[in-house]
Amino acid sequence: MRLELGSIFIKDIQFASELKIESGTLYVSKDALRQVVLEDEKIKGVEFDIAKPGESVRITPVKDVIEPRVKVEGRGGIFPGVIAPVDTVGEGKTYALKGMAVVTAGKIVGFQEGVIDMTGKGAQYTPFSQTLNLVMVCEPVDNIKQHDYEQAVRLAGFRVAVKLGELAKDLTPDETRVYETPTIKEGFTMYPGLPRVAYVQMLQSQGLLHDTYVYGVDAKKIVPTILNPTEVMDGAIISGNCVSACDKNPTYVHLNNPVVHDLFDEHGKTINFVCQIITNENVYLADKQRSSDWTAKLCKMLDLDGVIVSQEGFGNPDTDLIMNCKKIEAEGVKTVIITDEYAGRDGKSQSLADADAAADAVVTGGNANEVIILPKLDKVIGTLDYITRIAGASDKTVLEDGSLEVELQVITGATNETGFTKLSAR
Amino acid sequence: MKRGYVIITNNPIVGGALGGKCEVIYITCTYEDILKKIRDKIHLGYRLMSHPLSGSVKPGETPYKSVMLSADANRVDMKSLSMIESAIQSCAKFNFKQDCYDGKILEDFQQVDLSLIKSGIDSAGIG
Repeated sequence: MRLELGSIFIKDIQFASELKIESGTLYVSKDALRQVVLEDEKIKGVEFDIAKPGESVRITPVKDVIEPRVKVEGRGGIFPGVIAPVDTVGEGKTYALKGMAVVTAGKIVGFQEGVIDMTGKGAQYTPFSQTLNLVMVCEPVDNIKQHDYEQAVRLAGFRVAVKLGELAKDLTPDETRVYETPTIKEGFTMYPGLPRVAYVQMLQSQGLLHDTYVYGVDAKKIVPTILNPTEVMDGAIISGNCVSACDKNPTYVHLNNPVVHDLFDEHGKTINFVCQIITNENVYLADKQRSSDWTAKLCKMLDLDGVIVSQEGFGNPDTDLIMNCKKIEAEGVKTVIITDEYAGRDGKSQSLADADAAADAVVTGGNANEVIILPKLDKVIGTLDYITRIAGASDKTVLEDGSLEVELQVITGATNETGFTKLSAR
Repeated sequence: MKRGYVIITNNPIVGGALGGKCEVIYITCTYEDILKKIRDKIHLGYRLMSHPLSGSVKPGETPYKSVMLSADANRVDMKSLSMIESAIQSCAKFNFKQDCYDGKILEDFQQVDLSLIKSGIDSAGIG
C-alpha cells in the first residue's frame, strides 16, 4: 500500500469572517465552525480561542488534540467509519495541516486532567506547546450524561478538524513524503537479508473515557488484527481516551505515531517494516489472555524477527504489556516494549504493576510521578477550577505566588508511551 | 440463573445499575481496603476475573473500585494473588485526597467505575 503524505505548513491562525488558508495563514470564521459544532443537538454552545507557542497561556482540561487532514486521492476519507463512510484508507494522497492542532477542552467530568502550557517549564514537557492551537470549549445541553457529553465533544472535534482539512484540498503541499509497504510475499523477495519487524500497538479499551475506536469500532470489541501502517495516517484509529493525560494517545498521536514513522525511516535500509498489529487492553482477564495469545500467534504467522510493543495507560495495561511481551518472546520473536513509569515522587517505587524477565528491552517515557513547578500564566483557556483535584495534584498544588506544584501526569503528552514527547535522556 | 462470578465493590451505584443480573457484594470502605478484602477472598481460593487496577483513574484519585471474582472457590490462584498484591502496592504511590471531592465529582467517579466493570461484564457475556 502506498500513501503520499503532503504537508501544508500553517504559520499563523487568525480569526476572520471567512474560513480559508492563504499564504500559510489559517483564517478561522467562528460562525462557520460554530455551525459545524452545533450540528449535534447535545451541544448548546462553543467558544473558540487561539493559543500560540510562547504565549503566556494555559489550556486545561484538554480532552483531545487533532491534526486536520484531507483525503485528496484514493479510497475513503479522513476518520473512516466515524466522519467519512467506512472504506479502507491508507493509499493514494493525503494532505495534513502541519504546525497546528485542534484542541478540544472542557470538563467532561469533574476530575478531567490535561494541561497544555504554551510557555515556561510545562511547555518543555508537552509537544502541543509547539503547535498553533485552535481550542474549542463545548458547552453541553443541561443534564447530559457523561457518555453522551464525551461522545459529542469527541465527534465535534473531528468534524471541525475535517472542515479545516478540506480547506487544503486544492493547495500545493510545501513538502511531500511517500510511505509504502509491500505485500508479505513481495517483502520477502525485496528485502531477503533484512529482519522482519512489526509494530504492536496496544489500544486503550476499558470503558467510559477509556476508549479507542478503529474504523469506528470500539477497540474493546476487536480481536488483534493487522493494519497497513499508512491506514493510521488517514485516521483509522481515533481516541476516546480522556484519562491519564500524560500517557494517553490523543488522535494527533495516532495520526503521527512516531513508532510508525521511525520504522518507515528504517524500512528497506536496516529492517523490513512488515505491518502494524493492533490489540486491546480490556479489563476482563479472559480477554487479555485471548488478545495476547492472538497477538503472539500473528507475530509467529508473519515470520517476524522482532516487534516494538507500545502500551497506553497505567495499571491494567501493564498486565497486557507483559503478557504480550512474554508470549511473543516465547514464539522466538524479539520484543522491545515502550512504557512510562509510576515510580513514586522519589522514583524509588516499582515502576509497573507487572514485570517479567522476558521484558529485557524497555524504553521509558519517564516517571509520571515526577514533581515540577508550573509558573503562573496570564491566561487560562478552559478552567483551573479542578486543578487541585486531579491526579498528580493536591490541595497544596497552588503555591503562594500562583504557581502550581504538580506531577508530570497532569501534562498532556508528558510521558507518552509511543515516544511522542519532547524530552529524552540523550 | 447462577453466574460464574460475583462483583465486589465499594461503589454504591453498582448494585442498582446491574439490576440483579449478577451477585453484587457491596462493602463500605476505601479503595485500598476493597483491594485488601479481595485479597482475603483470593486467599480463600476465589479467582480474579477482572483487573484490580482497571481504569486510568488512579488509586486514591477515585474512591471507587469494582472487581469481578469467580463465584466458586478452588485452590489458591497464584496469578490472582500476585496481581492483587501488586495492585495494593500501587496504592502507596499516589496521594489519597478523596475528602476534597464534592457530590458531583463523586458521581462522575461512580459512573466511570460502573462503566469499567460493565465492560468486563459485557465480555463475560451477559450484556
